[in-house]
Amino acid sequence: MLRLILRRFISLPFVILSVTFLTFIVSYLAPGDPILALMGNQRDPEIYARLRTLYGLDLPWYQQYGEYLGGLLQGDLGLSFRFAQRPVIELIQGGLPVSFGLGLTALSLSVLIGIPLGLVAALYHNTPAERLIMALILALYAIPSFVLIPILQWINYQVYLATGWSLPAAGWGRPEHWVMPVVVLSAASLGYIARVTRSSVREVLEQDFIRTARAKGLPERRVRWTHMFRNAALPILTVIGPAIAFLVTGAFVVESLFSIPGIGFLSVQAIQQRDYPVIQGTTVILALSVVLMNLVTDLLYSVVDPRVRLEG
Amino acid sequence: MKAKRNLLLVIVSFLLVFSLAASPIAAQDTTTLRWSIEGITDVVSLDPARATDAQGFTVIGLLHAGLVRLNGALEVEPDLAESWVISDDGLTYTFTLREGAAFSDGSPVTAEDVVWSFTHALDPATGAWTGPYLLSNIAGSDELVAGETTELSGVTAVDERTVQITVKQPSAYFLSQLTFGPSKVVSSAAVTANPDTWDQAAVTSGAFSVQTWNRGQGLVLVPNPNYWQPASQISTLDIVFNQDSETAFQLFRTGELDIVGGAQNPLPAARVPEVRDTPDFVSTNALNVRYVAFNNLLPPFDNVLVRQALAHATDRETLANVVLDGTVTATDRIIPPGMPGSEAPVEGLAFDPALAQSLLAEAGIDPATFEVTLSYGVEGDNERIVTVLQAMWQDNLGISVTLDPLELSTFSSRLNDTYNDPANGLQAYYSVWGTIYPDPQYFLSQILQTDVGNNNGHYSNAEFDALTQEADVIPDDLARRIELYNQAEQIAVTEVGWLTLFNGQVNVLVRDCVEGVEVTGLFSAYVVPDYTALRGCPAS
Repeated sequence: MLRLILRRFISLPFVILSVTFLTFIVSYLAPGDPILALMGNQRDPEIYARLRTLYGLDLPWYQQYGEYLGGLLQGDLGLSFRFAQRPVIELIQGGLPVSFGLGLTALSLSVLIGIPLGLVAALYHNTPAERLIMALILALYAIPSFVLIPILQWINYQVYLATGWSLPAAGWGRPEHWVMPVVVLSAASLGYIARVTRSSVREVLEQDFIRTARAKGLPERRVRWTHMFRNAALPILTVIGPAIAFLVTGAFVVESLFSIPGIGFLSVQAIQQRDYPVIQGTTVILALSVVLMNLVTDLLYSVVDPRVRLEG
Repeated sequence: MKAKRNLLLVIVSFLLVFSLAASPIAAQDTTTLRWSIEGITDVVSLDPARATDAQGFTVIGLLHAGLVRLNGALEVEPDLAESWVISDDGLTYTFTLREGAAFSDGSPVTAEDVVWSFTHALDPATGAWTGPYLLSNIAGSDELVAGETTELSGVTAVDERTVQITVKQPSAYFLSQLTFGPSKVVSSAAVTANPDTWDQAAVTSGAFSVQTWNRGQGLVLVPNPNYWQPASQISTLDIVFNQDSETAFQLFRTGELDIVGGAQNPLPAARVPEVRDTPDFVSTNALNVRYVAFNNLLPPFDNVLVRQALAHATDRETLANVVLDGTVTATDRIIPPGMPGSEAPVEGLAFDPALAQSLLAEAGIDPATFEVTLSYGVEGDNERIVTVLQAMWQDNLGISVTLDPLELSTFSSRLNDTYNDPANGLQAYYSVWGTIYPDPQYFLSQILQTDVGNNNGHYSNAEFDALTQEADVIPDDLARRIELYNQAEQIAVTEVGWLTLFNGQVNVLVRDCVEGVEVTGLFSAYVVPDYTALRGCPAS
């Protein structure tokens, strides 16, 4: 297991290198220009040329990229174009705890609700309960967050009209600000996890060893928890990785529409403004977190299933 | 029965006592104001010289004062300077600072602070564009911008309370330019004391200063008691950032905001019908114009007849009143209503398909082989508008029109290419022009004089240039200037320098308990004419 961790850490610099290179080249080749974005509709060729030189945008691409990498090695993510030369690291430090807090809460919620829901659906196969749960799960899984958000906002407004009380429609800083974003963010991954749990449990239930266990006269409780769930847990664990990816991409929409000062919010604006250093910085951080979460999932895998010996 | 009556008595007396106890609180004078700024995740900077966003300038206007400011009628009025004298040749402005003018930390606003602020705005190390763009008329600005010197020769402190500004050429709009962003006065002492954090604006010269800046969320502002016109009826002003206008609308209608919407980010058009009749809805003409510009250096749009044909084939009334449901006002001229100069009439090119076809024929163009590509940035209602233009031109002229949607940043980059390399530039594009300072110069000279930076389509007319150049430098005869600008505008309209379509509308929501805020058509929409009269809503 140590070897796996070690290997993953050795591969990290290469992951970062390729991620930064790809984002750099894509931003470099994409049309658009941070200085023009700064100047809005106003145009003045002289000022434009001077600012491009000041920000180092007139250098050849390999030199720009080289300087960026040099800074990165020293932990320097550069300065934002848009935010008047504020350090990118400072912008990210502000947003990272917010996005992580939100993401982890949503993930926990989708695991804590998704797995039991999937279990119930599998165990009560072919009953109205299963059909109800399946309908709910599919709906949650299928409705994109940008559709779910207006629906929630509408319900919230109706509650406000009826009672004079409502959840804050957006914003950040108070505990009640968490409710709607967490619900929206966890909806899709909850549906996904529940669906996989159900099919995985159903599959195990059909297995011979379950029949044998029952035939041995084991109490149903032991059959379910020791034999069935332990075996069904593996595929469920594997989907938590993709579920995290869901959360990361979901954060872009959710943070923007709820005005939450997280990484997703920051990235969206940086892309619109061609704020290259910020785009680079947030991409690196997001890539790092996905790599680390995948590592954690792999480790969990070996804990749950003794047959799995991770060689990396 | 008796028990019930007793209970009632208890309740009534309780309510009475409660309301008496509560009334002193309600009678308190201070109120809070919750103000949403849309379209951003955070303001770019609170340093007036480094801000680049309209939203940031709205906040900066609340924090930092300049020598002069605009009132609700868009006229220049005294701010930190109580008076000024312009020399007879129009080249020297002598400002006298208000007696007792002080920053929020109590230190006096001196002439040296003014000199420092202008120098900072033009200093290349600041890395900003608004200073070099708007203050280029100040003597010595070019040398400072180019890094040849570190001092701004055109701005000097005569004594503690007197500032003298020398300009390169007389200009009627110079004072108007001084009302905007980079001319605001900051405390040089506060900057020197905290070079890295001073732009967080704890020390300001304007009506408010920053108590906390919650990055990515908003700002909490408190009144600056030393401002000459203190906002004494406000306890706190909460600025809330919302990337999405719909989100801000949701917050407003669940009672969490008092002011929503701006010139750049008006209320979502789809929400206007449901709030139009409420007392909170405020709507005013935006000082902006939507237009189509043509690449005047490439055939066939180098031919004035072709441009005129497209203008006559455009039914602006239908576009504004039917397609956009009357939420905008059709226009066939360049200067928007409400701007000085708009009172002088201009004859536009009316909708006339038959004339349009004959002009095209006169230009020797066969409609069947004529292909136009119309480029535009994907944003707001743009898609709907260009689709209608496409249909109008195809139906009325029999030509073929291709739409070229571009992501906003790509669009602005293509405009830049069009300016620098017209041969490989856009053929025609749909865009918008708004007002930073309310002067006809900004709507004519700044966009259509030969080869000026904003003239992406390279329209050029010697007479237009001569008229506007003459009007630009007349210091104090507005009537004469308007006469000249009017002749110039007529030329540009007749020759279709721009094919203008309609003026926008600033639609915002201001809760009716808010007092003292005026909505204008400017770039940064709101004007507070008298801060002592500014009132928010009682805390709920």
